Amino acid sequence: MGDAAASLSSFAAAHGLEPVPVLAAGPLTPLLVESGAGRIEPAAQGQLGDGVSGALGRLVYTRNKTFRFAVALTEVPASTPFVPRLFCVRAGRHTRDDEFYGFEARYSRLWTESVALNDRYRIAISPYQDENWLRQLFSPAFVDWLASDAPESFSFELAYGALLCSTEDADPDEAALAGLAAATAAVTRRIRRECEE
Amino acid sequence: MQINRTGIGLIAFFLIFGAAFAVVPFLLGIDGEATAIFASIGLIWVVVAIGLALYARRARDKAAHQDQVFRTGIKGTATVRDAGSHVTVNEMPLMSLQLDLDIPGVGSRQVSHREVMPVFAADRMAPGLVLPAYFNPADPGDFILVW
Repeated sequence: MGDAAASLSSFAAAHGLEPVPVLAAGPLTPLLVESGAGRIEPAAQGQLGDGVSGALGRLVYTRNKTFRFAVALTEVPASTPFVPRLFCVRAGRHTRDDEFYGFEARYSRLWTESVALNDRYRIAISPYQDENWLRQLFSPAFVDWLASDAPESFSFELAYGALLCSTEDADPDEAALAGLAAATAAVTRRIRRECEE
Repeated sequence: MQINRTGIGLIAFFLIFGAAFAVVPFLLGIDGEATAIFASIGLIWVVVAIGLALYARRARDKAAHQDQVFRTGIKGTATVRDAGSHVTVNEMPLMSLQLDLDIPGVGSRQVSHREVMPVFAADRMAPGLVLPAYFNPADPGDFILVW
């Protein structure tokens, strides 16, 4: 844990981010909801990439067992009318170990059109999503990047403009944090660009 | 609401073990009192499984109806006037919403609407929020809220 905090601290110093002991993000996305309070701790805020600002840090919580993620949080407010919810989560990722409920709110459905992404991700969208817009967002270049070049165990959740990118990295070093920050900036820019078109 | 894999597993569990509890003691010729106890438990479990299955089927039919309204309905808006929740269902708030509906070609009306939402969506429900809504052309009171 100390190593992860030290890595974040050095990464923040090297990239001009402002260290924040605790960032109370709140229940913005499913992963932050699973974590309970949605506390990113420790965190650092600032520029994650060209034109993209946000926060980077660790999300740790216990639901029977302890889950640890490296996370980066940004905002794309313009996305809400086009895609209120978009969850692109690594296939097989578990975010809780105490799931006993047999019924859940019908708030998402799987989008399996992209064969290239299906091996690596499970993509969930609103039941009432405009799929044409989604096809434009998942351009061949973006699909190729997600399938081949995104950091290992990378996932992202976009909910009402809040974009949380994460890796299942309990102890990320500076290189891993740099990879997550760059990937988050890339996803943010891609969604932004599609919203502007 | 919709059933998930855990729900399917629960139905299968109660149905299979309920049927086994109800039938196996008879087949094994266990004495009367024990057989009656097992059979009672088994029947209760089977009833639970049937109840869950019926609830799941009702939820599926409702979802199919909502999909139909989405495909064929009139698109309008719903503005949240008030939102709150005092009840949770499986860790998700049951939201009570007061809405101003604006239905093109029909007019405006105020309605109360209740819906179970995940926390990250419920957290966004605040007065002034404008959401898309789709209305059944045959019955504008029948609508889906796109949250």
